[in-house]
Amino acid sequence: MSKMSAISPTQLFAMIILFELGTALVVPIGLGAGTNAWLSILLAMPGGIILYILIVYFDKQYPTLILSGYIRKIVGAYIGWPISLLYLVFFIYNSARNLREAGDLLITSSYDQTPVVFIHAVMISAVIYVIHKGIKVLFRVGEIYILIMLSLGIISNIAVIFSGAIDIRNLLPILGEGWISTIRNAYPNIFMFPFGELICFTTILTHLKQKKIARKTGILAIIASTILLSMTHAIEVAVIGAGVYNRTTFPLFTVITTVELAEYLQRLDSFVILALIIGVFFKMTIYAYAASAIAADIFSFQEQRKLAYPVGVIIFLVSVLSAWSFPEHNNEGATVVNIVLPVLVAILVLLLFIHLIKKRFMTDRTI
Amino acid sequence: MMFSKNLYRNKKKIHQKTGDESGRGAKLFLSPVLADNLAHIQNELGNSPDIIVKLFEIGTSRTQAGAVYVDGITDKNMVNQYILHSLMLETHAGVSLEQDQNVLAFINANALTLGEVIVLKDWDSVILSVLSGNTVIFFESTEEALSGNTKGGEQRSITESSTEVVIRGPKDGFTESIGTNVSLVRRRIKSSNIRLEPFKIGLVTQTNVAIMYIQGTVEDSLVQEIRIRLQNIRIEALAGSEHLEELIQDQRMTPFPTIMNSERPDTATGYILDGRIAIFVDGTPFCLIAPATFFMYFKSVEDYYQRPEAAVIIQLLRYAALIISLFGPSIYIAAITFHQEMIPTPLLLSLAAQRESVPFPAFLEALMMEFAFEILREAGIRMPRAIGQAVSIVGALVLGQAAVEAGIVSSAMVIVVALTGISSFSTPSYNMALAIRLIRFGMMAAAALLGFYGIAIFSIFLIGHLCGLASLGVPYMSLSPYVPEDQRDTLFGQPLMTNASNPELTANSNRHVTNGEDAPSSSDSPLNHLNGSGSE
Repeated sequence: MSKMSAISPTQLFAMIILFELGTALVVPIGLGAGTNAWLSILLAMPGGIILYILIVYFDKQYPTLILSGYIRKIVGAYIGWPISLLYLVFFIYNSARNLREAGDLLITSSYDQTPVVFIHAVMISAVIYVIHKGIKVLFRVGEIYILIMLSLGIISNIAVIFSGAIDIRNLLPILGEGWISTIRNAYPNIFMFPFGELICFTTILTHLKQKKIARKTGILAIIASTILLSMTHAIEVAVIGAGVYNRTTFPLFTVITTVELAEYLQRLDSFVILALIIGVFFKMTIYAYAASAIAADIFSFQEQRKLAYPVGVIIFLVSVLSAWSFPEHNNEGATVVNIVLPVLVAILVLLLFIHLIKKRFMTDRTI
Repeated sequence: MMFSKNLYRNKKKIHQKTGDESGRGAKLFLSPVLADNLAHIQNELGNSPDIIVKLFEIGTSRTQAGAVYVDGITDKNMVNQYILHSLMLETHAGVSLEQDQNVLAFINANALTLGEVIVLKDWDSVILSVLSGNTVIFFESTEEALSGNTKGGEQRSITESSTEVVIRGPKDGFTESIGTNVSLVRRRIKSSNIRLEPFKIGLVTQTNVAIMYIQGTVEDSLVQEIRIRLQNIRIEALAGSEHLEELIQDQRMTPFPTIMNSERPDTATGYILDGRIAIFVDGTPFCLIAPATFFMYFKSVEDYYQRPEAAVIIQLLRYAALIISLFGPSIYIAAITFHQEMIPTPLLLSLAAQRESVPFPAFLEALMMEFAFEILREAGIRMPRAIGQAVSIVGALVLGQAAVEAGIVSSAMVIVVALTGISSFSTPSYNMALAIRLIRFGMMAAAALLGFYGIAIFSIFLIGHLCGLASLGVPYMSLSPYVPEDQRDTLFGQPLMTNASNPELTANSNRHVTNGEDAPSSSDSPLNHLNGSGSE
């Protein structure tokens, strides 16, 4: 592998969409947003864009460093190291969460006879393989899978629309509970998941080929994924109603089972499962990559690619051992989205202030 | 006395030479004594009966000379007419050889009516020259020899390619002779920028290898890369282009071919005009083309000879066939084993009825049928043509119908396997089809273990592997990094690109303009040449 692996803007675009759609496409987001979930998603988008701009700003200030590198530059090695470790642990934990979600959907849908450990092990082996091949390969794979993902989406959407299952009345009343509750759903819930998860890209932007258009590409990708996500959730609510949407574990899966077209096209479940596998794979892999990048940086490990094995094994163990049941897993999820992720985003904002103050202070002194 | 002494000295030097493996340290030069030289070359070549040594006198000058050539690889007519005849009889009476004049220069200028004559001084080049089919002429009291190109002998004539068949298009195919192959391409590209670089590979075989490209169209770094790879080959014998492919490929551990090959000169021409490099190997009717991408293997030159609309549809069909041949049996296995609920009920009922009497799980059933089909296919290639019918009877009746009736396999499985087999034939490139065949079995195993989930994960592995491949350092999956101009050809076939639809006429001049470095004067363009000759 060359010294600097380069990622093209198209690849970044594809990867951000895959990452954002990931699990958010399948699970209910915004904890009880219900009828107005789609609106909350749109409202949360500006927050996501601002967060992304912040990430790009850091990358512009420290073009050769990843997150853990500039944390140490900003607050010094002694405070920076534990903070980096916090991010590392979070990335590994969240990767494991994604794996767990995919594993549980697979088990509930059609693998009730297969041990969950085996399903997780197979997925993590694919993650390890791709990370070991390097970030360049990962992004190339993403570029191909975005096409597959989009075609799955187009086919499923057409099927849902033509099956006549959509009942627009389910989406009414718009803003039935007023702006306040819709916005409160957007911030912090939806802003944190899936947009807050963009903090992973703090370890990736260094590898970009044309950094000048990184910001534009990323923002476009965020807008595109928001529209797709909002549309999907609107369709979900329109088909199964807000009540079922909030209660079911995987609303998209429930939606697709209602599709019946011309007697023959009855079972598109596999499409949802495929979309979930693809989405989870990329989300996990990005998290695992971010974890291995930070680990390589803070432990000064030369060969980052070899860290794919230990990071993968840890993710695997955490995914199996972290929660005994899916409800327990969901409760942990609420904690993560409500507490841990906000803290991590807040640290980033705090770092920005420290950085700006330092910059001001330094320039003052030089003058 | 003197003779034997000389011989002795030579022998000693030969020993030295064989002791010194590289042979570069001590170069052995010719002796001024003619008999000595002739004896040496016969000795060196083991007194082989097909080494012909002819002693004669040049014209009227009475200068002794000896011609040496190998029977069978030289064109006898040329040797007789242009060398022996012209030297012995037709040396101009008017121009007589002065005593002090250099024999060699005189002969070269006045007597040899051959186009390609070179002067040789050392034994290594003399031996190589003789073994390559040239005629080497030694002269009395001269320490140099002349080598005239008389390569010839029996060769296969240019016939239609048997591996890449087209309905419409040129019918010529490459042959075993590197000279013929190069000329077939040269005839199609009349550009002054075309470059041909020769290499000799194999310490024993000394096989001629040549790379051909268009300067300015191809990236210089690629040419440099291939030069380095060819020069770094240290090998005793080069068996053919497939052997060379193995020696210069980027990755060893992959079932996919990363260097393209073709038996058709029009295909090679197209890729050379595209900015790729063709590698010819003497003795092989397949030229190599590098760098290759995955999608190149699903294009046939036929696509350029048919109307673009049809070509696009046919190409899409080929990709569909690729997907069937890769995923066909595994999707069937996954659906039957894990996801019965996905199959529409009427179909499921009929499948269940068929499978009622089948004692094996779907995976085993599929494996058996695929295995039988692979055996049939292999037998079909290797068997003598006369027993072809027997194989098809055994294949179609015994393995198909009878197996179903005996309740060993279900008829649905026969359909799946047959469809898969036919689909895999639609891949234009045989070695890509081979790779797909191999991977299909992995995919089937993954489907048997984990159903669609297994297929999905195996596909991630597969695409990850493909994305990690490179050909001459160029990414194998050309879809990524995405370059829109490159993709038009992948999806829509060449005809949409006006500059490529008629390569001989326009492509070169266009390339130059885009290249910008040495834009040709308009008279250089082949188009003008054609127009000019037309008006005359």
